[in-house]
Amino acid sequence: MMTLILGGSGSGKSAYAEDYLLRAVGDKNKYYIATMQIRDAEMQAKVDRHHRLRQGKGFTTIEQPTELEQAVLQMEPTGAVLLECMSNLTANEMFSGEQPVDRQTVIAKILQGMEGLRKQADPLVIVTNNVFEDGIVYDSATMEYIEALGRINERLAAEADEVVEVIAGIPQQIKSGSPGAKAQNRQDSRG
Amino acid sequence: MILIIGGFAQGKLHYVKQSYVRCEDGRKVAVLDGTLELPAETGALQVIVNHLHHYIREQLRQGTAPEVMIENFCKEHPDCILICDEIGNGIVPMEAEERIYRERTGRILEQLAAQADEVVRVVCGIGQKIK
Repeated sequence: MMTLILGGSGSGKSAYAEDYLLRAVGDKNKYYIATMQIRDAEMQAKVDRHHRLRQGKGFTTIEQPTELEQAVLQMEPTGAVLLECMSNLTANEMFSGEQPVDRQTVIAKILQGMEGLRKQADPLVIVTNNVFEDGIVYDSATMEYIEALGRINERLAAEADEVVEVIAGIPQQIKSGSPGAKAQNRQDSRG
Repeated sequence: MILIIGGFAQGKLHYVKQSYVRCEDGRKVAVLDGTLELPAETGALQVIVNHLHHYIREQLRQGTAPEVMIENFCKEHPDCILICDEIGNGIVPMEAEERIYRERTGRILEQLAAQADEVVRVVCGIGQKIK
């Protein structure tokens, strides 16, 4: 079971994603794949806030700002996984070197990493960011990044069993869990 | 007329091609990119306008009113599909030109949505019919 959770910054998507995972797992091993690269105090504060949110919930944290395919090496053969978040992972893969990595390479690398992760993670909950609606034309490297994240989201959403958009802490299910409901969804969207 | 809105890089055109373009009725499909000018060949065409926001921006730059042109276009092609980026969910920009672009685009979308037979919002490639 794979679920994609989308939201803007400060939308409550992280808290929702954690609760969602905890409801879904039972007594499986729980892993939190953290993707943020800590570069300054602001990032540290964000990470600390997320640590506090997770405290006492029994997660094992795997720090994986790049090279997603390596996360599975730190896991038991199966487990519930919360990956937070795709926007950081994509930025890290693209911008960690001296030169930005091209979009197609980043997309392919991340999707490959996701494939490996899906073999061991059930449920797999992925948090991603809605950075697509401000209409700003940024510099070309940033536009490449936004497009990469858009395409990754699109691919993950197509494969996910469920897609949820969190708005002001309120979840909106935009792709539904049960197979019957999924067919219904498609029909609705076809009009 | 069908209106498709959604953020940048959300797979809107792909969604339209998957969901609305049916080859079986044999109509030729014309995808216009940021323009309302049809290629010379006529006939029964399914017209899709992609990047409508680019068209709006260009018209504003040239000092012409996109509203009138779009309205006329919809009258001529009542079964067209218009695809436009959502550009208004960010900070209101400092530059007047950018502000006006967002305001006018928003108002145009509001008008189009009111007239449309269907309005679909596309997120992560998934269409949500909101009208």
